[in-house]
Amino acid sequence: MSIKVRTVERKGRTFLEQLYLVEVIKGMTVTLGHFFRNLLDNSRLYVRHYPEVKPEITARWRGRHRLTRHEDGSVKCVACFMCQTNCPSNCIMIEAGERFDGKSEKMPTRFDIDLLECIYCGYCVEACPMDAIRMDTGIYSVTSYSRESMVLGLEDLLETPGAFAEEEYKKGGG
Amino acid sequence: MAELVKLFVNGQEVEVESGKNLIDALRVVGIEIPHFCYHPALGADGNCRMCLVGIEDGRPPLVPACKTPVQEGMKVLLDAEHIKKIQRDVLEFELINHPVDCPVCDQAGECALQDYYMNYSLDDSRMQVAQVTKGKRMDFGCGVVHDQERCVLCGRCVRFTRQITKTGELGIVNRTDAARVSIFPGKPLNNRYALNIVDICPVGAMTSSDFRFRQRVWFLKKDPGICHGCSKGCAIYIDHHREKYKDDVIYRYRARTNLNVNGYFICDDGRLSYAGENENRQTSALADGAVIGFDEGIELVRERLDRARKPLMLISPDCSLEQMWAVQRIATLYGAELSGYSDNYIIDGDGDEYLINDDKAANRRGLELLEIDFSRAQFLTGLQHTDLLVNFNNDLFFGGVDEELKSLLDKTQSIAVCSHQLQVYESASIVLPTASYSEYGGTIINEDNVLQRFEKALFKNEDPKDVLEITRLLGGAINDAPHAWPGIKQSVACLADIDPQAIPAEGIKLQNSEDTNVGA
Amino acid sequence: MSALDILLVILRIAFGAFVPLSFVAVLVWMERRGAAFFQDRAGPNRCNVLGFRAGGLIQNAADGIKLAFKEDIVPGHVKHKFYFILAPMLVFITALLCFAVIPFADVLILGDKHYIMQAIPMDIGILWFLAVVGFGVYGIILAGWSSHNKYGVLGGLRAAAQVISYEIPMGLALVSLLAVYGTVNLTEMAQFQGRLLFGFIPMWGFVLQPLGVIIFIVAAFAETNRTPFDLAEGESEIVAGYHVEYSSMKFALFFMGEYVAMFVSSALIVTLYFGSYQIPWFTTETLVTYARPVVIAIMIGLPVIGYFFAEWMKRNNRSHYYRENDPRQKETAVYVALLWSLVAILEVVLLVYLVFAHGGVADRILVALLQIGTFLFKTFLMCFVYVWVRWTLPRFRYDQLQKIGWEKLLPLALLNIFITSAIIVSFG
Repeated sequence: MSIKVRTVERKGRTFLEQLYLVEVIKGMTVTLGHFFRNLLDNSRLYVRHYPEVKPEITARWRGRHRLTRHEDGSVKCVACFMCQTNCPSNCIMIEAGERFDGKSEKMPTRFDIDLLECIYCGYCVEACPMDAIRMDTGIYSVTSYSRESMVLGLEDLLETPGAFAEEEYKKGGG
Repeated sequence: MAELVKLFVNGQEVEVESGKNLIDALRVVGIEIPHFCYHPALGADGNCRMCLVGIEDGRPPLVPACKTPVQEGMKVLLDAEHIKKIQRDVLEFELINHPVDCPVCDQAGECALQDYYMNYSLDDSRMQVAQVTKGKRMDFGCGVVHDQERCVLCGRCVRFTRQITKTGELGIVNRTDAARVSIFPGKPLNNRYALNIVDICPVGAMTSSDFRFRQRVWFLKKDPGICHGCSKGCAIYIDHHREKYKDDVIYRYRARTNLNVNGYFICDDGRLSYAGENENRQTSALADGAVIGFDEGIELVRERLDRARKPLMLISPDCSLEQMWAVQRIATLYGAELSGYSDNYIIDGDGDEYLINDDKAANRRGLELLEIDFSRAQFLTGLQHTDLLVNFNNDLFFGGVDEELKSLLDKTQSIAVCSHQLQVYESASIVLPTASYSEYGGTIINEDNVLQRFEKALFKNEDPKDVLEITRLLGGAINDAPHAWPGIKQSVACLADIDPQAIPAEGIKLQNSEDTNVGA
Repeated sequence: MSALDILLVILRIAFGAFVPLSFVAVLVWMERRGAAFFQDRAGPNRCNVLGFRAGGLIQNAADGIKLAFKEDIVPGHVKHKFYFILAPMLVFITALLCFAVIPFADVLILGDKHYIMQAIPMDIGILWFLAVVGFGVYGIILAGWSSHNKYGVLGGLRAAAQVISYEIPMGLALVSLLAVYGTVNLTEMAQFQGRLLFGFIPMWGFVLQPLGVIIFIVAAFAETNRTPFDLAEGESEIVAGYHVEYSSMKFALFFMGEYVAMFVSSALIVTLYFGSYQIPWFTTETLVTYARPVVIAIMIGLPVIGYFFAEWMKRNNRSHYYRENDPRQKETAVYVALLWSLVAILEVVLLVYLVFAHGGVADRILVALLQIGTFLFKTFLMCFVYVWVRWTLPRFRYDQLQKIGWEKLLPLALLNIFITSAIIVSFG
């Protein structure tokens, strides 16, 4: 198979274009058009008035993490450390302990996610064999006044509910 | 060196040692034959059928590799279709009732079954019926926790208790898929080597209650080291890990194979002695109980040593050869008497014929070779006449408080260079923290005259200075461990030919010549 | 010197000093909102005092307060602290001084006295501008050098090379202009532009010098270090160039210096090429003669403009999402009320003028005010062009910049001189 060669016509070689001024004025006409369009009626701006108007989050959006529970309320996580192993930014810190509720032998006694280190890649969700960690809280704005409070503990992660219905989340590829 | 024989593996010629079976011989040249039940220390049992290979010389199509000694010109077949099929079939058979516990199983990551499944099988389960459930989390005693479901019935543990410890607490009961490893009712494991079962179990059926769920094994850095628990000097792996925002800590010791010293196993006391490296450590310099900077502490010690008329230095028998040499030099420098007194390290009747010794000092042979006096008489005389005792990490109360020494120590002004917070150092006016044996490198000689080298394994956030470094800061001329060797070689005849960089992993057996063996 | 003389001296100097400063605020605001509208964004619209945002002007106050209260750092590695501190002052002061020679109204005749409406009435005019504006680049070079920072030095060097390259075409463009006007005095130039060509075209500079105006504007952009010639602070290559080590008010001086320079060079462009304070077809004398009709026209025009402005505010100054008791509509109501009161006050003032004070001195002052307004309006439009260009054109590459300066503008400027001289010599 021969390599397909396509000669692209080089733009900007005519006299008028070389003169530059004509093209400058053309460009400036375009921007001026936008300026007056927005000046005369600023409801036509292409922006969202963010803190008041929130974006719609889809189920596939990777927001802040949460840990899920079984239907009887017990923690799904079995502290297998797969998320920690898979985490490219090393932001998950787990300590495991014995578990006696019959669901498994092992459960986390400490499950910390350092949100300052997290890059929200979602690898932890993909690695989880128990569907115990999800990023479906719909929380996309994570802010705080101190470094310490950016480390989420087991309780914080369990408390946050998911923002989507189960079917919607599953449909989203979760 | 044993005789070499040539044989063919998958048509390729390899040269291996004779007198071994196929598994051991081929492992040396980097060819792995999967197996569960065979262990070099326990011999071939041939029950797992995982190591079946083909030999093209008219034998039956499949023979177990563990039972087949190598022969000249042998043609071994490992990658033929029927071999692969039998491996897949054996794995499928083992996995019929094996629970998918990998996420919660401590063995995951160093599990033979897991590795072989990934390497040789990767088949989906065809089982339609429910799996057989058996006992989980069964306490077998001695810190061994058994999971019957995960067991592949290779019988290594059973053979271990029968052949090695000769206690025979374990047995396999019942037949077919009801078969399980069990203890006799009311008779749990009761021997001082029981935790080796955890090491030799190829799957996660045997777990250690001490290490259970503490860390996943793939996070652990596995550095070779030497156990300093007794004068045997068993080879170990130091498995340590630095968790995020935390310090480098040791999670467990495992036996490292060294046929010169300990063979394949270590004792439970030594295995659990890792905890001592993590806990109760002296981390800051103290002057009269108040925390001071390390450099400040060094200055104070120098001052006191300069002023002392008749200093006495006491060195720990756990120190490495290089440290002993460095302390010996610095004792000469300050005109101090040097003692290696350590009778308390000997606990009579604790040892056995296998791996445990009465003498808990790791490097007493070093003291002897360097001609450091460790007699009680010399130490007591020295202690009575000295005005300053410098104790280099010697726990004088190791086997219990010695009242006579204690009253003398309380009367003497003393400086302690110590790695742990212990009662013996309480009377010291200045305390300097120092590294323990996992935090420095050096050489030690065990009671059987085997010279072994070990490297620094742990790198703490605030790395403690080892004894040798402290002698340098006190004015000694020896910068690091290699610098000590020219002097050691000159003064110790039997070490004259040793190249410290070239000590093999299994150590060097020193010639026990009469003229060097003065202290003995 | 009479009291009137002293008052006018004070007034003119105050005008020359404070108008550029007040325009800094307006220009920063125009730059930000303008940039936003060019890019279909909203721009700063949150900062408020009691809910009043003044269309985003409050943001300027916030920024000013922030800059004033920031820690004023002189980095430890700076060896020549004196030059380091001198640099931003130099930039700012030279920019401000340039404005001193620019006339903002025609010579004011009060009784038998003539007052030249410049902050510093000088004959050298344009030469002062060239001298002082060239001095401004010393501030940038000094800042780059004394920062002891590679980015700073690179920025300073770029600025130096650029200003040298572009001062030549700028000067040459002026040469032909001077030949046309026959003077260097800016007031005289402004008066010259009040005439008509062929009886109906205002004789503004750009009509007489179509090539010169392009060269001069391009060179003026380069002189002020504005996009597309802002290589001295090219963020992508040299972080912030010469002011990378500056913080707090020292940075603010650089920042304000840039906008003052932009204002001054707009004022100069207007003065030289766009008729200065001249209202087309209405010379000073015409205006003085027909003062009353002009005032009546203004009195009619004011409410009309006010009405459209109020309608525009009502349409745009509201929340574009659902909000209960929209506070922005209340804000607009206040603005509209203020606007109408301003219009009412102006109407009353003009009415008072019409009834009691017209004729003589009052006419002269009125015309002067009208001309000042015209001048500022033209300058404002020119500043808008600066903003407009900045948010349209990408930055030049450095070799392109030098090529345009030396290979395009310089020959063109020379050509312009030949053509201009030829025309002047042949047609006189």
